[in-house]
Amino acid sequence: MSDGKNKISTIISVFLVGGGQIYSGRIWAGIAFALTFYGTIALIKIIWTGFNFGFYPLLVVWIIIWLYNILDAYKGYCYEPPPCERNCPAGIRPWIYLNYLAQDKPAPLSYIPFFEILGMVCPAPCEDHCTRRAYDDPVAIKHLKLGVKKVWIRPKARKSNASVGIVGAGPCGLSLAASLKLRGYQVTVMEREGYPGGMPAIAIPEFRLPTSVLKKEVDEILSLGIELRTGVEVGRDISIDELLDRFDLITIAVGAMKPLRLDIPGEERVCYGIDILRRAKKGERFEFGRVGVIGGGNTAIDVARTLVRFGNEVKIYYRRRAEDMPAEPEDREEAVEEGIEIIPLVLPIGIEGKRHHFIRTRIVDGRPEIVENSEFEVELDQLVIAIGQEPDIDFLKDKLLTDQRGFIVVKNGRSSHPKIYAGGDVVAGPKTIAHAVGHGLRIAQRIDQNLRKIPGFFAWLGKREYPFELKLLPFTERRRMMIPHRNSESRIKDFEPVELIPSPDEMKREAERCLVCPLRYRP
Amino acid sequence: MRRWIIQTIAFFAGNHYFQSIIRNEGFYQGPLKRFCFPYFTCYSCPLAVASCPLGSIQHFLSLQLIPFYVIGFLGLIGVFIGRMVCGYLCPIGFLQDILYRIKSFKFKIPNWLANLKYVFLFGLVVIGAYLTAEPAFCKICPVGSTQAGIPLVLWDPFQSSLRPLIGWHYYFKVSIFALFLLLIISSRRFFCRVMCPLGAIYSLFNRFSILQLRVNKDKCIECNSCELLCPMGIKVYQQPNQADCIRCFECVKKCPTKAVYVGW
Repeated sequence: MSDGKNKISTIISVFLVGGGQIYSGRIWAGIAFALTFYGTIALIKIIWTGFNFGFYPLLVVWIIIWLYNILDAYKGYCYEPPPCERNCPAGIRPWIYLNYLAQDKPAPLSYIPFFEILGMVCPAPCEDHCTRRAYDDPVAIKHLKLGVKKVWIRPKARKSNASVGIVGAGPCGLSLAASLKLRGYQVTVMEREGYPGGMPAIAIPEFRLPTSVLKKEVDEILSLGIELRTGVEVGRDISIDELLDRFDLITIAVGAMKPLRLDIPGEERVCYGIDILRRAKKGERFEFGRVGVIGGGNTAIDVARTLVRFGNEVKIYYRRRAEDMPAEPEDREEAVEEGIEIIPLVLPIGIEGKRHHFIRTRIVDGRPEIVENSEFEVELDQLVIAIGQEPDIDFLKDKLLTDQRGFIVVKNGRSSHPKIYAGGDVVAGPKTIAHAVGHGLRIAQRIDQNLRKIPGFFAWLGKREYPFELKLLPFTERRRMMIPHRNSESRIKDFEPVELIPSPDEMKREAERCLVCPLRYRP
Repeated sequence: MRRWIIQTIAFFAGNHYFQSIIRNEGFYQGPLKRFCFPYFTCYSCPLAVASCPLGSIQHFLSLQLIPFYVIGFLGLIGVFIGRMVCGYLCPIGFLQDILYRIKSFKFKIPNWLANLKYVFLFGLVVIGAYLTAEPAFCKICPVGSTQAGIPLVLWDPFQSSLRPLIGWHYYFKVSIFALFLLLIISSRRFFCRVMCPLGAIYSLFNRFSILQLRVNKDKCIECNSCELLCPMGIKVYQQPNQADCIRCFECVKKCPTKAVYVGW
């Protein structure tokens, strides 16, 4: 159903209860509303015995039915969200684009920045909760993002003089900027680095996310008319007070870029994972020899896989078990395929030249504990630390509240300072791109509501949830498609993407595996 | 057998006195009216052959008597199958099942509202009837409007003796009836969850009844299909025997992993 049709049906239903529903194709809903409204009016007319105060509740109920009928004509049928939608940190509705892909039609989706990038690097919590797991394997929701023909529904732009300054041109900052620009605000993005993109541009290695894809997506966002000022560091080139004067609202989306330190003797000569990834992306080569990587997150795995491609011999040291790693299991397996050894349950305690001292740990109640007298020594040429990052926000320490770990405390996207919003890694800690995009989109909504002074209830009223043509597909026995990977011998020699893109026909048949839970499972 | 077939049969099993319409004589007043239905349906319905359990309770209480027989009858059913009557027999539940299928805008009611039915049970059916010596719940009962109030007044079998009696209370009941229709179209089994005092009686037995739903935690993948399916909107994998469960076994039939099953 198109947007215009929906407007006409709303107008019809104002004058004719149930008419709008019939116009938009929901015949039974129209009949039901018409019967409850006109039926009771007719009943009262037939049995009319004169006016009394029992007429007032009737009047109230008729008005309620009339209003509800208008709301219904505007908002349309509602579905219960399936698990993929509920678990998406970016607020994407995978089942809708899967359904459109299976029907071979272009999908009208509300604008989601970084959509294709999410299709390449998202850890896909939707697949972890997919109902299809009950039969075989989850639908390959993540990879199918690359096959969807999208028609972006953009929010209606309103002329507005309000200006919003965004610090940090990462996924959160850029998606917020795009979303606000589409709603008609003046947006300025400030970025410390010389180029936009944030963490994906700096730290996701080339073989997982090609720069060309990222550049295409970022250019698409910037072409909306966003003012980007690169090489501007807030706190050094411009002060936060100046920003508060210049803009109506500012948003901090600087991410968590400062690597955490281990605090062990001899830490002066270690490298940090983020620095290596950043410099490797710029074209620097690292030929250390024997390298040990400390950590178990995505950064640690990415660093190890980057270093393997420079011909190093890489081992990952992690203080818990390999299955406890916060990194994605698939990435971990791919790393092992590429010849990286994972040594679990060890903790570094000191460095003397090339001799690195470790101690063994054991897991007690889910927490690693040191095992006494189990020190051992490993000869390594270089130790790389990738145990996490924290935000670097000394420039606004006195403006707003932060928690003990240095992350900004927010409520509904707004920090303790009424003019400062915050989102992305600087709030939630190092998380995925999907989280950052979700934060960006949600903050955009909040900012829009606050600047236009709309109460939340009216914003909800105005939102149409399911203007889609969805079809229940027959159950197919097909198994999950195999995503072609390059073999590990060839892929550790270069930085070309590891995963190959399946053919469009295969993607369509994979999308047919979707159960369309809200249509299949309903009372 | 399909559930809707059982529900249809159950409706006609209790409401089949078509002679009242054919002979234009009003209600059935024979010996069967001494017994009450296990489900919620009005005894003033021209088709009804038995009496409403809630109406019977209120009659006894308004005569200052304790309705041992009705409580015992409902308790016996409750001990065996809990609230299964709501899912398989009740015609009002059937009406709600049909009307919820209409593709309209839906909303969820908050869970705490489900406690309102105990207020209706103890406030109107028990205390209200005892104090006012009248069937107090019947004064607002939308089931009575659906089955008796509106059809009887429109049909008027007693030679225009009903219509002159219409006053503010009838208008009030029509407004409740219209609101009831709107709410059951737009929210899952609104009447069962929020208003029904009979459901409140049965729901007290749900946790102790012999028939119980069980969830195999090893098989369950928490896909939430059962909540999408459930007419009462229960997260079955978390609370299989919640007071609101009407034992319609939709979750048992359609669970993708067959993790929900009927046990004892």
